[in-house]
Amino acid sequence: MNIKRSLLSAVALLVAGVAGAQGIMGGHVTGNVQLDGQMSREDTVIGASDVPEIMKLNARADILYTNGDFSAGLRFEAYQTPLLGFNAQYTGQGLAHYFVAYKSKRISVTAGNFYEQFGSGMILRAYEDRYLGLDNALLGVNIQLRPVDGLTIKALAGKQRIYWGYGEGLVRGIDAEADLNSLIRGMQESKLHLTLGAGFVSKYEADESIPSAADPERRLNLPLNVGAAAVRLNLDYGHWTLQSEYARKGQDPSIMNGYIYRPGEALMVNLGYSRRGLSASLQAKHVDNMSFKSSRSQTGEMLYINYIPAINRQYTYPSLTLYPYATQVIGENGVQGEVAYRFKKGTLLGGKYGTDVTLNASTIYGLDTTQTGGAGTEGYTATWTGLGQHFYTDASLEVEKKLSKKLTLTAIYCYQEFNPVVEGHEPDLYHNHIVVGDLHWRVNKKHSLHFKAEWVGSDSFYDEARGHTDRRAGDWVMGFVEWNPGTHWFVSLSDQYAYNDGIGNYPSVAVGYTHGTTRLQLGYGKQREGLLCIGGVCRQVPASNGLTFSLTTSF
Amino acid sequence: MKRITLFLALLVMGTGLMAQNAKLPDNVTLRTLDGKSVQSSAIQNDGRPVIISFWATWCGPCMLELKTIREIYDEWVEETGVKMVIVSIDDARTAARVKGVTEKQGWSDTGDDEFQHYYEVYLDSNRDFATALNIGQDPPHTFVINGQGEIVWQHKGYQPGAEEEVIEQVRALLK
Repeated sequence: MNIKRSLLSAVALLVAGVAGAQGIMGGHVTGNVQLDGQMSREDTVIGASDVPEIMKLNARADILYTNGDFSAGLRFEAYQTPLLGFNAQYTGQGLAHYFVAYKSKRISVTAGNFYEQFGSGMILRAYEDRYLGLDNALLGVNIQLRPVDGLTIKALAGKQRIYWGYGEGLVRGIDAEADLNSLIRGMQESKLHLTLGAGFVSKYEADESIPSAADPERRLNLPLNVGAAAVRLNLDYGHWTLQSEYARKGQDPSIMNGYIYRPGEALMVNLGYSRRGLSASLQAKHVDNMSFKSSRSQTGEMLYINYIPAINRQYTYPSLTLYPYATQVIGENGVQGEVAYRFKKGTLLGGKYGTDVTLNASTIYGLDTTQTGGAGTEGYTATWTGLGQHFYTDASLEVEKKLSKKLTLTAIYCYQEFNPVVEGHEPDLYHNHIVVGDLHWRVNKKHSLHFKAEWVGSDSFYDEARGHTDRRAGDWVMGFVEWNPGTHWFVSLSDQYAYNDGIGNYPSVAVGYTHGTTRLQLGYGKQREGLLCIGGVCRQVPASNGLTFSLTTSF
Repeated sequence: MKRITLFLALLVMGTGLMAQNAKLPDNVTLRTLDGKSVQSSAIQNDGRPVIISFWATWCGPCMLELKTIREIYDEWVEETGVKMVIVSIDDARTAARVKGVTEKQGWSDTGDDEFQHYYEVYLDSNRDFATALNIGQDPPHTFVINGQGEIVWQHKGYQPGAEEEVIEQVRALLK
């Protein structure tokens, strides 16, 4: 090694040390890391597969550098191989997400990968759900302008992420939102808060050859550019709120709608009233042909440009999420209502600590359609209010009662109707009665126990010989106990058992340790697919049979 | 050798960067309960500490944490002057429930006088703020911010009793 080189090295080290320590470089490095591993043996009863590579591993690290208004970030992802339930196309590793951004009070610019949402997302939502393996981040440029207080204008263009690549379609969008109370001098002191917004999204995709249904010799004249527009309002007056968004989409023949030319539209209205001890809401939703993807031929969950949420209440108890409802973007009409009331302490029903009661109900139907043709035609006609196939209904009563300083009990009864047609299966209608008992026992300041007992009575059944292969079917009992010896550790035991007309028994044990932002969890047992809440956090898990571990940290 | 030097240089520099506490991002857009857009620079407490808790209406442990703190929050404020800011990551499916939940639970101020002090509530529907703060996917995630707007402590998850650690961190800032 020559002297010149070692001198250079010494200088580099010195400069770096001084720059770092003195903050000449300034800025901060933050990030988060997550590692999920899974070992599984085949279990045909619960549908778990064998893992020939012994261990499946999902790993990711986000590193973010921030210096004043400037920031840059990157994410490394590795799937070696992806956990059960993740698409095999994720297999591999590399830089999955990167960007540089400048954000100040009046202007924000992001170049690279970004997430974004216009309004409630009915025409555009780029987001990520790492447990579902869903990431439709855009790669491109995103600009936000706030020329005056109360006005936000967003403009963006890019391509959508799909696994390790990007879709061919281009996505362009512009959105404006005005907060009238900030913009209009006379409204600044008003009790009425009004926000108005409007957005437009256009996608471009090259031509391809799709045969017409009427004459297979001829190909469809496909629109290369498809536009979608939405208007929305948010009104807030004292105890009342009204939120509404209406979206309309141009002709967008795709594999999702059978290459029909009917325009799409959707309306969502939410009316709410709330004050201390009481909240009530009524929601209605109409969706007609609103699948909006940047690729005509893409089925499945990827390359969606928009996001239309399900209207029914989202629970986290396993008995109540056995049959989760997913929005039918092709068409649905739904309503949901909820009233939550607190009986004050000291009253007959309130007792010493008060009692909370929540009533919730929702019902969702397909559209009442009349078929008028196949690919290359309008497809069907439908009315706004007509009801077609019954998809889902639920009604629940929830009572939460603090029994003493140390004991809190929650009890839920839910009646549910679920049509497996919404998951692409044969139409049917399951009728379920669900009962949940949940007890938190705070033994002392840092020591607590959590018990859950759940029951599902269903007219669905599992019978392979007759083609009934839904592993959620039948009657279930579920039990769960979690022990928190202090605030760092937890140990839990659980079992879910289909005792009648069903199949499967899912015992499992888990232990976890949290210190600051670092959390390590080990589990062993059988895992039913679904939303799992344990040891303080909730997450989505696939079916497995064996050991799992999860390590997360952030800094 | 060149590589080793480069690595060491980056390491030394990195250690220097991380020695200081990261500032709370001030340029992320959040939404208030009445639908207004505000910048995250609005989160401050006149030089006193702030607790920020990320939560969602569907997250049991989050609800338990916020209910537990509600019962002792007036005492916390009177003792330390701390302000509790709760940021909902409910997406379009459940965001409309946030106002009802916070008003019914006595977390946000509705003008009655049941409590002395209330949480400040923001919505972060597409997780812009959550991403900027690296909370990962799972709520709850709790931060303690000092009077200079620096993140001095953070914690993932909630188990009963953890609220004592939060207020201990706030008390430590006042010493």
